[in-house]
Amino acid sequence: MTQASPIQSEIRVLPALVVDQIAAGEVVERPASVVKELLDNAIDAGAGRITVELEKGGIELVRVADDGAGIAPGQLGLAVHPHATSKIRSTEDLDRIATMGFRGEALASIASVSRLSIRSRARGEDGASVIEVEGGSASAVRPDAGPVGTVVTVRNLFFNTPARRKFLKTPTTEQGHCVDLVRALALSHPAIGFVVRCDGRVVLDVPSGQAVRERAFAILGREMETQYVEVHADRFDDARGIALWGLAGLPVLARPTARWQHLFLNGRPIRDRTVQHALREAYRGLIEPGRQPAALLMLEMDPGAVDVNVHPAKAEVRFRDSGMVHKAVYMAVREALRSTDLTAREDAQRFRFEPVVNGGAAATGKSAVGERFAEYFERLVPDAGTKNFDYEGIKRTLEEERAQIERENARLEDERRRIAASAPDAPEGARARTPDMAGQHGLVEMRPGGRILQVHNSFLVTQDDQGMVIIDQHALHERVMYEKISDRLAAGALESQRLLVPEIFEASSARIELLEPLSGLLERLGIDATPAGPHSVSVHAFPTFLFDKKVEPGAFVGELLERAEADGWDRTMEGGSDSAREELLHEIVDMMSCKAAIKAGDRLSEQELDELLAMRERVERSSNCPHGRPTAIRLTIRELERQFGRS
Amino acid sequence: MKVICDRAALQEATNLTAGVVNPRSPRPQLACIRLTAKREGAGGTLTLAATDAEISLRLTTDEVEVQEEGEALIPADKLRQIVAAQDTDPTLTLETDGEKTTIKGTGSRFLIYGFPPGDFPPIPDFPKPEAAADAFSASSEVFLQLIQRTIFSTARENSRYAINGVLLKRHNKKIEMVATDGRRLALARGTVDPGASKSEGGQCIVPTKALNLAQRLLPTAADKIRIAITDNQIMFAFDDPDSPGGTVLTSNLVEGTFPPYEDVVPRDQDKKATLNVETLSSAVKRAALLTNEESRGVRLAFTGAQDKMLRLSSRAPEMGEAEIEVALDGYEGEGIEIGFNPAFITDALKVVTGNDVVMELKAGNKPGLIKSGNDFLYVVMPVSLQ
Repeated sequence: MTQASPIQSEIRVLPALVVDQIAAGEVVERPASVVKELLDNAIDAGAGRITVELEKGGIELVRVADDGAGIAPGQLGLAVHPHATSKIRSTEDLDRIATMGFRGEALASIASVSRLSIRSRARGEDGASVIEVEGGSASAVRPDAGPVGTVVTVRNLFFNTPARRKFLKTPTTEQGHCVDLVRALALSHPAIGFVVRCDGRVVLDVPSGQAVRERAFAILGREMETQYVEVHADRFDDARGIALWGLAGLPVLARPTARWQHLFLNGRPIRDRTVQHALREAYRGLIEPGRQPAALLMLEMDPGAVDVNVHPAKAEVRFRDSGMVHKAVYMAVREALRSTDLTAREDAQRFRFEPVVNGGAAATGKSAVGERFAEYFERLVPDAGTKNFDYEGIKRTLEEERAQIERENARLEDERRRIAASAPDAPEGARARTPDMAGQHGLVEMRPGGRILQVHNSFLVTQDDQGMVIIDQHALHERVMYEKISDRLAAGALESQRLLVPEIFEASSARIELLEPLSGLLERLGIDATPAGPHSVSVHAFPTFLFDKKVEPGAFVGELLERAEADGWDRTMEGGSDSAREELLHEIVDMMSCKAAIKAGDRLSEQELDELLAMRERVERSSNCPHGRPTAIRLTIRELERQFGRS
Repeated sequence: MKVICDRAALQEATNLTAGVVNPRSPRPQLACIRLTAKREGAGGTLTLAATDAEISLRLTTDEVEVQEEGEALIPADKLRQIVAAQDTDPTLTLETDGEKTTIKGTGSRFLIYGFPPGDFPPIPDFPKPEAAADAFSASSEVFLQLIQRTIFSTARENSRYAINGVLLKRHNKKIEMVATDGRRLALARGTVDPGASKSEGGQCIVPTKALNLAQRLLPTAADKIRIAITDNQIMFAFDDPDSPGGTVLTSNLVEGTFPPYEDVVPRDQDKKATLNVETLSSAVKRAALLTNEESRGVRLAFTGAQDKMLRLSSRAPEMGEAEIEVALDGYEGEGIEIGFNPAFITDALKVVTGNDVVMELKAGNKPGLIKSGNDFLYVVMPVSLQ
């Protein structure tokens, strides 16, 4: 290696501008970063109302105007100097950061990569002052006219660093990021009014002086009020030193990404794995694995118990005691979900039942309802244009989802066939009875209160104090089984029935090798399976209750190994955390309850119907099947009256 | 065709034949019963036939007066409902006109639209012994017991089709029938009359549905029934060879290999308990009261040869616990604890004859063996206990 380096290297001190530009790279990635820094400053300045203006997604112009304390003319020059800040004075202060911005590099960083101007008038001053900075060189401060407060204008972001400019996405995308950011801050600062104008159009306008809850729904949308459950943990006193308020979305709002999660710590939006995990745990069994619940959580804790100086954009934090935070979030959310009826609420605006037309309904009813369901869920999809543009992530998520959908489709196809096979009975019976009833009474048969109607051997219809409840029999039974098995597992291994002759099935050597790492798990589940040769596995014992439900040992263990291979369960068992292993156990319990549950198309006797509904009352979280689909839908009396034109 | 039938006899015959019919058959003709009236001497016979393409049943009654010979093909469920509903009539008159059949009772008349009798598939006759691979006859009493002692152990809707049926194995005079659902196995033995059969015997698997029908037909059958087995079918003739028409059940055999059941029957059990059937049955039923779907098992604790006690216990979390103590008639070997699904034990106790059974055990995770005399063996696998 005697060859000269291609780069003429000579060590030298970097000019200040380059230093700032490098620092800017950490803080200022895109217009949204500018918006964030400027909003932090405005909030810290005690603003009551903040206006954000964007042009071309903020690439051309970001202007943030506040009515806060303002900056005295003498300090304007310092404001754009790196590491000049009014918020911390010494290293001790770093331990107790209560203000939004603190690092003192924001304005200087922004100034180094844009054309920046600040006009500010401090309270008590007669007029405003202006300073302009372009590519790091500041003009003299000159007087100007203007109200109390500060207006920071950032034009032509990255005009002098074309490489960074190239990395910007389309204006629409950048604008989306900016608006998301304002939304997040608006959520955590309900007392401050926010207005966002994009290319002259108002896209967000919330008044000042709102209460937290009021602000939350002003941002999430008024119609979401019925879709969230309030979460509290006012436990200042119990030495946890953490207070929590938030909104937990109904399971139907869960999304493949964490986009609908808004987490705040002491008013600062954060991303945090501990909190996200605690949330997912609280929703375990209520939403499909791999989905993220929708939630808004505001944590308040002693600034000393958390390190926010981890990341320049301050998005990530480090808790001194993350276990405590995990527990607090988990307990609060779980408690809130547990004490709430999570039956999906059908809102008149989003879910329209059409009047049933005589005769035609029977033939088209099923698919029409299906379509309406599809519409319903489509409307819940977040606005286009504000998507997370992590391409690889989206691709991954889509692939996961597709696999899940395929699995689900295969199962539904199975059910459809079963229904088709059992269907001929139903219409015949219906035809025979209907004219007779119409002739004699002219009325639909009345069922005494509390009685249950089974529709197409798949759905149960009953009533409660609020209206009509439609239950998916498979989903409900699956949920009931899941809870029962989970309870039983808490008491010990599942009861296991030994087989007369081991059931042998073929498996690849990769799958056979999984038996070893999974053995502990299988034992708890009452499954005894061993390799029977280079290409086969034999099952010696299998859970009693699965036998009773006609689940075949070989087929089940085969499917289990297939999933174990696809999802790398051996790695979880060997290297994963206790909670990851526990999650795996529950995943298998999911599989078991799905197989053991009554299927759509199974005719239930009156007694079975009663039993199933009685179990619904007893079992915790019965509103969703373990895959997270709802087990029941309620149609309120109010909605029925509306549909019949009575209101 | 015109026949006057004794209503009760006709009802019995229609109920039995309608049991074969698959009401959801895609071919409406297969959801029918074919009636054939024949004049013989002074009276005559009416033969009812039905099939679900796997099993077919032909049943003949002579409690009829045939005024005009002929055939009819009538939907099974309607025929059965009408005959059952006219329950005050001693007789019913069936008369056909083409595809239409009129059923007349006192003050009532039903006209049913049927199908051309020629659309019905041919129902095989009982073969001559030389045409079958195996043929023998058996006492109907013995054969009924063989069925009763095994049929309850068959699997239902298992993907291993072989165990959805009962294995029938003959060697000269000895016959064995075996059924298993993978968790327990019932084996019943008996003797048959090979008659002039040219073969020493053989084995085949008979569908549960066919044996269920045979079970219903056997109580009214002749003392001896005839059985013939061909390549893919088994046939039962329930009447004397010389009686006219006769009742014949034909069934396709189940294809597949039955598990090697001889290997499953344990031979080195070193603990033997002798128990009164009633006592054991009652004790197991009582212990089963406090079991549930997730905790099925009942624990059987045999105290040993000295105190000869059996303590049964069950425990269902969140429900409760039960403990039952009974005295044993005899015990050999050391004490042992083992768990069983209580239903598996009571199922077997229902079909044993005699006052006592012997339960042979080896270890808590090894099969249990229940014996009643030399002609009933029952292997039952344990469940794990907490």
